[in-house]
Amino acid sequence: MLSRVANNLIWLDRYMERGSGILSLLKVNYYANQDSPELFSWTPVIKNFTDYHNEYYTEDALECIDFMVFNTDNYNSILNIVTKARENARSVQEHISRELWLCINNYYLYLTDKQLRQKLREEDPVQFLDDLRKHHLIYNGTADVTQERGTSYYFMNVGKFLERVNIIADFTSIKLDEIANTSDSLEKSFYWKNLLFSIGGYQLYLKTHKSTFNQDHVITMVFQDKLFPRSVYYCVNKLSRHITRLIETNELAKNNLEFLIGKLESSIKYTTIENINDQGLNNFIQNIKEDISNISTNINAVYNSK
Amino acid sequence: MKDNNLFSNYEKLASTWDEMYNDSAEFRSQYNGFIKYLENTSPEKLSKKEDLAKQLFMSQGVTFTVYSDNEGIEKIFPFDIVPRIITANEWQKIEAGIKQRLKALNLFIKDIYNEQFIIKDGIIPGELIYTCPYFLREMKGVKVPHDVYIQISGVDLIRNNDGEFYVLEDNLRTPSGVSYMLENREISKRLFPGILPKNNVRSVSDYPNLLYKKLKGLSNNLNPNIVLLTPGIYNSAYYEHTTLARLMGIELVEGSDLVVKNHFVYMKSTNGLKQVDVIYRRVDDDFLDPLEFNEKSVLGVAGIMAAYRKGNVNIVNAPGTGIADDKAIYIYVPDMIKYYLDEEPILKNIETYQLGRPDELEYVTKNIKDMVIKKTDGSGGYGMLMGHEATEEDIEDYLNNVSKKPENFIAQPILRLSTAPCYIDGKLSPRCIDLRPFALSGADGVHISPGGLTRVALKKGSLVVNSSQGGGSKDTWILE
Repeated sequence: MLSRVANNLIWLDRYMERGSGILSLLKVNYYANQDSPELFSWTPVIKNFTDYHNEYYTEDALECIDFMVFNTDNYNSILNIVTKARENARSVQEHISRELWLCINNYYLYLTDKQLRQKLREEDPVQFLDDLRKHHLIYNGTADVTQERGTSYYFMNVGKFLERVNIIADFTSIKLDEIANTSDSLEKSFYWKNLLFSIGGYQLYLKTHKSTFNQDHVITMVFQDKLFPRSVYYCVNKLSRHITRLIETNELAKNNLEFLIGKLESSIKYTTIENINDQGLNNFIQNIKEDISNISTNINAVYNSK
Repeated sequence: MKDNNLFSNYEKLASTWDEMYNDSAEFRSQYNGFIKYLENTSPEKLSKKEDLAKQLFMSQGVTFTVYSDNEGIEKIFPFDIVPRIITANEWQKIEAGIKQRLKALNLFIKDIYNEQFIIKDGIIPGELIYTCPYFLREMKGVKVPHDVYIQISGVDLIRNNDGEFYVLEDNLRTPSGVSYMLENREISKRLFPGILPKNNVRSVSDYPNLLYKKLKGLSNNLNPNIVLLTPGIYNSAYYEHTTLARLMGIELVEGSDLVVKNHFVYMKSTNGLKQVDVIYRRVDDDFLDPLEFNEKSVLGVAGIMAAYRKGNVNIVNAPGTGIADDKAIYIYVPDMIKYYLDEEPILKNIETYQLGRPDELEYVTKNIKDMVIKKTDGSGGYGMLMGHEATEEDIEDYLNNVSKKPENFIAQPILRLSTAPCYIDGKLSPRCIDLRPFALSGADGVHISPGGLTRVALKKGSLVVNSSQGGGSKDTWILE
């Protein structure tokens, strides 16, 4: 496969995954913010997804959603993300299924429809966000049932799971910052609950632990659950699987990569909640982020070499 | 529902051939089937179909992006839903005419880059060749597979008021538009259920397979690595590049994906360098190789021409084919046909005056109101003067320009492009059209897809069909 194509496929899925994550966060924060704006402000959301130059902040829910979805000066606005995803998809059409291209093209057209912005202002913002999220669900479903299991699929999944780990780590960091500002244990539990909502894990948590909020249980689930598709461990495991396949088919060089992903996988798998608490969750997350960044750099090297 | 007003107010243009009506205002027989359909369809329904067509183009991504204020806007190439219909007899002549023409043009290119008999025999002046910007010295004596230089072409035809098809220009470099031939047909299938088979319309969908076979035939390798080289996503024909690559199942590459090593061309892949055997390039000659042509080009590949001359890679079309579709050379195509094939041209040339000749310049200046003047190296409808609509001042300015280098200009009488019915504001109205059939040549001869791109000047009374100047397109039906 052309190195440029591999790179485009990785970024296609990275962008789509990022978009999906941001939309979830916006929805969850919207609900929480309407309940208690003093606990769930918009500033951390904007701060996390904009670059250092950004000076725009707002505590108006609709303004914030508009900024996060439509503003083209915002590098990570959904509109920018989907535009970039579409450009990536467009240049690799012979490598992705026709259905997948049509799906992302339609998402782009939906997003650029002049009426849509009005809809956010005048109708139900949750429905608005859900309508956008649906495009990501369709994208994932379409990829699953139409894309052959081969090099393209593996590269796309590498992108998807790299991004998903980043997003879970970021969301957790945001919550940790907020938690650090309060000593009220009830408030703390709100934040943990909010984290679960943001990554879509609340339902599973309730099923497993009922309605008792225990910080350790949340951390274990978010980082170590083997079956929850948005736990860090699950994503790293998938990431490792797809990287291994690419190494086996000589699409990726073994070099450091096998070592890095193996190390990351075991560091999450063979650790205990006590261990995590000892080193501090912040440190634990920082290490994961560093490993992910190293893995990403190693894969990018494929594109830049030869 | 005989009279649904669709046909009322069809104002035929004076002394112009209309594709649907004959001179006695009766329908031409090839339109009967489709007219029956129209008569039984309300304007509301047709308008809905028009909207549907627009939506389909958008949702299928048959678009090009126009960038303004940092924002990309997706545009579609305007499409008129009423097909242009050509009879089997008419098509037979077009097909034979294009085959003959391409045969002669290909022999001409071979001759020019080798022995140059046609110059030595005094048929074409040598200076015309050497001053032509499309003439590539780099191609002299280069042996190309099966002596085929023009694998892919899209000859532009127009139908004059005598009902005959004339050749307007022979696009022999990197003609575009074939994806619209394919896409327009896909849209027609969805707009008019059952109507295509009922009218015995010939299918065009084989084009990508045929193209692939021709490209494959160029390599001695049984399983050659064929790629399509695009200038990239900002090119207005990018949609076409992605479509052709997808439909042929070949890799779409950009210049930066390729590299030349020891006179072989490779693509940079995730598992190392992979040799490339055939390149269908949609990059102009000038940008192909910064070492030999435009040194600033980042669209091409350094060293690719040397690899080509060594026969290590095939480039399609061959570099240098532009020498045969230059507007100044065009005048000589009928002579080429006689010289190389000893045949009379089946398709006529449009009478063309070379302004480098004083007598012709004088004649053109005198009759300028009936003339269109073009630069010999222009394309896309730019840099033209349409005598009948130009102001005195425009004419004076233009002639001033001409006088600086008259041999760079040609003039042709203003043509009466034939008109075809278009669905505009709920009614059928005649609009000027041309026709670009797509031909593929290889060792086994020339194949022409039974169809083509019919371009329409959607502005009332306009003669300019170029998409860059407000033109649109129609599906083109060739009947069995």
